[in-house]
Amino acid sequence: MPAKLVVQNLTHHYPDEYTGESVHALEKINLTVEEGELVTVVGPSGCGKSTLLNILAGLLPYRDGLVSVDGVKIEGPGSDRGVVFQEHAILPWRSVAKNIGHGLELKGMPVQERETRVTDFIKLVGLQGFEDKYPHELSGGMKQRCAVARTLCADPVVMLMDEPFAAVDAQTRITLQEELNRIAIATKKTIIFITHAVDEAAFLGDRCFVFSARPGRLKAIVDINIAREKRIWSAMNVNKEFLRSRDEILRLVREEVNIAVEE
Amino acid sequence: MSIVSTLSINIQKRIGRQRLRKFFLGSIPFLVLITVWHLNEVFDWLAPVFIPKVSEVWDALFILQEDCEGFSAAILLDQSCMMSTHILSSVGRVILAAIIGLPAGIALGIFAGMSRPISKVLEPIGVFANSISGIAWIPLAIVWFGVGWMTTLFIMLNTIFWLMFFNAMLGVRSIAKVYEQSVLTMGGNRWDVITNVYLPGAMPSIISGMRMSMGFGWRALIAAEMIGGDSGLGFMIFTSASEFKIEEVFLGVIIIALIFLATDRYFLMPLEKWTVHRWGLVWKPH
Repeated sequence: MPAKLVVQNLTHHYPDEYTGESVHALEKINLTVEEGELVTVVGPSGCGKSTLLNILAGLLPYRDGLVSVDGVKIEGPGSDRGVVFQEHAILPWRSVAKNIGHGLELKGMPVQERETRVTDFIKLVGLQGFEDKYPHELSGGMKQRCAVARTLCADPVVMLMDEPFAAVDAQTRITLQEELNRIAIATKKTIIFITHAVDEAAFLGDRCFVFSARPGRLKAIVDINIAREKRIWSAMNVNKEFLRSRDEILRLVREEVNIAVEE
Repeated sequence: MSIVSTLSINIQKRIGRQRLRKFFLGSIPFLVLITVWHLNEVFDWLAPVFIPKVSEVWDALFILQEDCEGFSAAILLDQSCMMSTHILSSVGRVILAAIIGLPAGIALGIFAGMSRPISKVLEPIGVFANSISGIAWIPLAIVWFGVGWMTTLFIMLNTIFWLMFFNAMLGVRSIAKVYEQSVLTMGGNRWDVITNVYLPGAMPSIISGMRMSMGFGWRALIAAEMIGGDSGLGFMIFTSASEFKIEEVFLGVIIIALIFLATDRYFLMPLEKWTVHRWGLVWKPH
């Protein structure tokens, strides 16, 4: 499989917003993500996961190292990389349909063509009947479905997700995770999914990148060999591969949390 | 069923219960005011020199318009049509000042909100200009532009522009960064961010800025017309008072308030309803 996204020797420091002190966020990160793969990234809080995502999105300039998509160096935000932010990233002044079609609108796609595609994605995330509603009229789960559809509809090469389900309730989260798995099967998108929930990382990832405490280093890569079609929560508690990989990720993350606490 | 109750049900159906209730509640203070005013006439508390009769004020409306030679004369602001000329020239100045001042204030406010250098250049001068009340400029404006349209327009613009500027700027700064990022990561450029994020996102501030600047601008205009105008409602009030035509002064004040009330109700409130209320950016009291 060809590598879609490559990160080479990425090191990053940034000044703290209040104290101005230099924060060492990432240290010599090397990783590749293959086409059609869904990788999850976990690590203790403050390990630079979000910094990495912002660099991949092109929202944060970097100096040391190289980050590229399809062999092209990332030098700013672009429509080849879609981002699903943690919360509230759908525009309150646009209806559900207009939010989902926003990316295509920005690309200048004609209205008719756009509408057909928007309808498809509304169906994909199950928001039929809510096309003309505004975000404040939706529940938390529906907002996040809308956000996922908004990003997907713009047809990015790589989809970056920054703890997208962290702000919804546990019941909705499980549903959204299964839906994302279904979407991954249907669209075959390359997805990088950042999370702090170990269960989620094991359930969704083809591979899981475990990060160390600050400065963030790639501590380990855990392979999770479960067919996408078999990934349903009700089957997971008897799935040996799921339990093994989850426990391994948990152990790796725990080590880091303990180091961070001892410091 | 009596005619009255049928009529009231018909009115309720047509206008809607909610709106009728709102209208009724809003009119209570005015009804009290008019009643007290009328009681003054009945019980002779204060002499008509201070408080004219309700009927006199009503009549003044037509007396002032008496010499008017028809509709076209009124439209052309003919001096013979005193009432309509005063109203139209005040309203005309407000509209002109709003057309120039509001978009300019919004545009520069947005640029200052998104760019640190622009805000660094414009903020100090804005604070400076805002600290001087619009009226304080009147003597200087008269020296510069003479008595008339230019002076009143200058005073209004001074008030409208800076208030609008500050409100739009603060509005842009209160928008969560993630909206801008979500447009940029979908391939949007700076201009897309301005039209798709900053302008709608700053709408709550922009609308309250419009309300404030129109309110203060309207007040400044009346003051400017009193001293530096040759027509308009402020001018009318001032000249009538010096001629002891107290009923004309009352009439002028009432018309000023009614015009602003109408602007607020039929322009600013619908704008608010169709934007920030619909988007859930501000909440409505129950």
